[in-house]
Amino acid sequence: MAEQSAAGLIGARVRRQEDPRLLTGRAQFVDDVRLPGMLNAAVLRSPVPHARIVRIDVSRALAHPGVYAVVTGDEVRAAVATPQPVIWRMIPDQRMTDGYPLAVGKARYVGQGIAAVAATDRATAEDALELIDVEYDELPAVTTLEEALAEDAPKLYDEWPDNVSCRATIPKGDVEAAFAEADVVVRETFRFARQMGTPLETRGVVATWDPFTDRLDVWLSTQSPNLARDLFGEVLDVSVDKIRVRVPDVGGGFGNKFDFYGEEVVAAILSKRTGRPVKLIEDRLESFVANAHSREQKVEVELAATSDGRITGLRGTVYAVLGGQLATVGIGPCWLTAALMSGPYDIANVEASVVGVVTNRSPYGSYRGWGQPKSNFAHERMVDLLARRLDMDPLDVRRKNLIPADAFPYASPVFFYDGGRYDECLGLATDAVRDRGWLRRRDEARGSGRTVGIGYSFHVEITALGPSRIMNMAGLQHSAFDEEVVRIDSSGRVTVYTGQTALGQGIQTALAQVAAEQLGVPLDDVTVVVGDTDTCPYTGYGTGASRAASLGGGAVLTASKRLKEKVLRIAGGMLEAAPEDLVVADGRISVVGVPDRSVSMAEIGDAAYRRINGRLPEDEVPTLEEREVFDPPNVAFSYGCTAVLADVDRETGEVRLLDYLIAHDCGTVINPLIVDGQLHGGAAQAIGGALYEELVYGPDGQIQTTTFMDYLMPTASEIPAFELLHMETPAEHIPGGFKGMGEGGTIGGAAAIAGAVDDALADLGVATVALPITPPRLLAAMRNGQVQA
Amino acid sequence: MSDHVNGAAEGTVANKVPVTITVNGRTHRADCEPRTTLADFLREDLGYTGVHLGCEHGVCGACTVQLDGSTARSCCMLAVQADGSEVTTVEGLAEDGQLHPLQEAFWNRHGLQCGFCTPGMLMTACELLADNPDPSAEEIREGISGNLCRCTGYQFIVESIQEAAPKMRPAT
Ligand code: FES
Ligand code: FES
Repeated sequence: MAEQSAAGLIGARVRRQEDPRLLTGRAQFVDDVRLPGMLNAAVLRSPVPHARIVRIDVSRALAHPGVYAVVTGDEVRAAVATPQPVIWRMIPDQRMTDGYPLAVGKARYVGQGIAAVAATDRATAEDALELIDVEYDELPAVTTLEEALAEDAPKLYDEWPDNVSCRATIPKGDVEAAFAEADVVVRETFRFARQMGTPLETRGVVATWDPFTDRLDVWLSTQSPNLARDLFGEVLDVSVDKIRVRVPDVGGGFGNKFDFYGEEVVAAILSKRTGRPVKLIEDRLESFVANAHSREQKVEVELAATSDGRITGLRGTVYAVLGGQLATVGIGPCWLTAALMSGPYDIANVEASVVGVVTNRSPYGSYRGWGQPKSNFAHERMVDLLARRLDMDPLDVRRKNLIPADAFPYASPVFFYDGGRYDECLGLATDAVRDRGWLRRRDEARGSGRTVGIGYSFHVEITALGPSRIMNMAGLQHSAFDEEVVRIDSSGRVTVYTGQTALGQGIQTALAQVAAEQLGVPLDDVTVVVGDTDTCPYTGYGTGASRAASLGGGAVLTASKRLKEKVLRIAGGMLEAAPEDLVVADGRISVVGVPDRSVSMAEIGDAAYRRINGRLPEDEVPTLEEREVFDPPNVAFSYGCTAVLADVDRETGEVRLLDYLIAHDCGTVINPLIVDGQLHGGAAQAIGGALYEELVYGPDGQIQTTTFMDYLMPTASEIPAFELLHMETPAEHIPGGFKGMGEGGTIGGAAAIAGAVDDALADLGVATVALPITPPRLLAAMRNGQVQA
Repeated sequence: MSDHVNGAAEGTVANKVPVTITVNGRTHRADCEPRTTLADFLREDLGYTGVHLGCEHGVCGACTVQLDGSTARSCCMLAVQADGSEVTTVEGLAEDGQLHPLQEAFWNRHGLQCGFCTPGMLMTACELLADNPDPSAEEIREGISGNLCRCTGYQFIVESIQEAAPKMRPAT
């Protein structure tokens, strides 16, 4: 399969270049990095949710054999130039938490780092943690949104008037008037539990900070190496030329590895102190408190509509249940929930607010979907509830309100949606549901006493994040362009250097396909180099926001086109033909119609690098390399429709998914195999989020889910088979027409599942308004009509 | 700050015990601390980093190896318990530069994304197909339900195992 010839490689279902190493145990993940003299570190974490740190005594730990260094929060603070950076600052007057890599003065959540040890090995470092004596002066904690917002609530930040970090409202049109004139108004409040990306590989770092040269060399399991390098520079006050960030194989990211964590800074400081490389790998138990959490929100929504189901207004407030300090992305994901509250619908009047509230819980960061799973759940559930109120088919309400194909580019409250055929996509899903006989299956199941329902959701997915200037204006303290380098070497083989990172999403294969097709070489002749800031170009932002394939693909395409022009000029000279009369196929350049007048790419490479005289035209410079910087004029919106057939057990409250399909459009598809895999994986995370996963805190502020026995990620037994249906509407503003699609599967799943549950239990009038829909919640809903948090 | 640096006490002195294990056909003898898990011993002492650790509490299956012919979670055993055993890790699946049929099928069917769960999945699938050479999709899902994968949504893993099954059946 991998020998596919170049023509038609964009869109080809080829297997991945990444796989042989991963399949044979030859990959190198961060915990596999071992350097001479390397020490292992461990972090002492706060056992209490809220306390003043009165005293830390590390003397017994220091005296422990095998211990090289111990650092406390105060020492780390003295060693850094700035607090931990927050790159998304959409709300100018937001109160920032200015946290440090380890707690300074106060601990504000269970698991916050207090001190760290570097020792010969991890077990010794952990032994030493037990010898650190910390005196805590415990403070009353606010462990829920309601507690944090209560009158006279204990404050996390003494200098703030309350626990509110920010408020902002995003307006469009005249919402007051829309509600005043509405025939019907539907109101609902939604609750989302805490969840997290939970890649199977935990986070880790190996830092070597040479105290003599000041060079900092870091192996990091990150999605954003260039961002990390710049932030290391800012925080440690080192110029970036001295910093190298290398990304080994990464065992899944899902947003959790986008953020810039305190442990990374701590490892660097421990390295400088000891003069040794320091490895710091989070274990699974720690990951449940030290990884950025996500999803937890309360969202209040009102819809105004006409009696025939036309939505005229939407008003909503997102309460972001932030943790004890802001993570790298700040209010970002929760702001996006508000910004995309109207989803795929053409609603003239929208007013969405976000309120960021700090609590004594772990920080709130990135997780695949980044706010959109909540906005999707809110608008899709509201559409279902409006239909119920009006006694209409929810699909008719969707059809009536979807942005029509001729209305693009469409101005939503914040973003311009670039294009799409939403109505057709909905039709693709409903036709498939009809053709697969779901209605009959539902009715037959009901006839035999089972409880089966069908649910739908329609989602939009923001992708191709950029352009840099607009994102800066929106508050991003970083850029969002992409840069790619395409090189043909002296043997005629191609190497693509990318600043995007490989997290398992197949970016190397995807970029190789684009380059191979453009250059006319076999796929196996292309190598894609990732994961090293010393070798690879600079990409803004990082690999997140579904931007790698669209922006990286677009840039590789443009660079390859230019490089091919040079190849043709050189070949033209060698074959004494005009470049327009040449064709490239399978790594050979030949004269149209005269196939045996040809040169190979290897000969071109040789002429450009080695035996130049008489072969490389006089007016050409040696080498074959092109560099393209692509700062897209706009983001690109992918979209899709999810349909779910679900069986609800009225005795146990268990939901079983019988069938699951997604109709989807992400512009030009580079590799359908990879796209399918992304949708499957995203959908599985949506299912986990809809039915099983919840980071539970007790009233004492202690987290109760710190193993895979309590935080339930779905296994193969819970996940149904998926069916995918594709449409391709190329993005006009991106070379190649590629849109991103890494998050779509995750965004639309929960609402469709909730819709199916409600449909199954229609006789009881159940309305699912809280996630996850666990058996106890569902049983309670069957008693009182609502799935509540 | 320098008062917090203690470089003098190199190495923890602990009672080490000798362990002999045959891994992928090669016999290794090494001393290890009694508290060292088999997974850490394989990874750190012997260099078999294809053994992955996703939880270290026996749930995710990433550390699955074959121990004397049946699968075991190497994070949940001590190296000393495996003294005298024969272990196969993912590094031992391909032979003579040829991928094992399961590896080939996982490659064809996109049965992996990040590859972190993959070594454990492959070892589990080997045992599954040995026990049941012609499993249904349902039986495969059941059979791999002790191995977590956060990336793939499992469907392509199921298809990979289905594709490999006929190639692994003994010729009749
Ligand atoms: S690491 Fe052994 S089961 Fe997860
Ligand atoms: S492929 Fe990433 S966990 Fe399975």
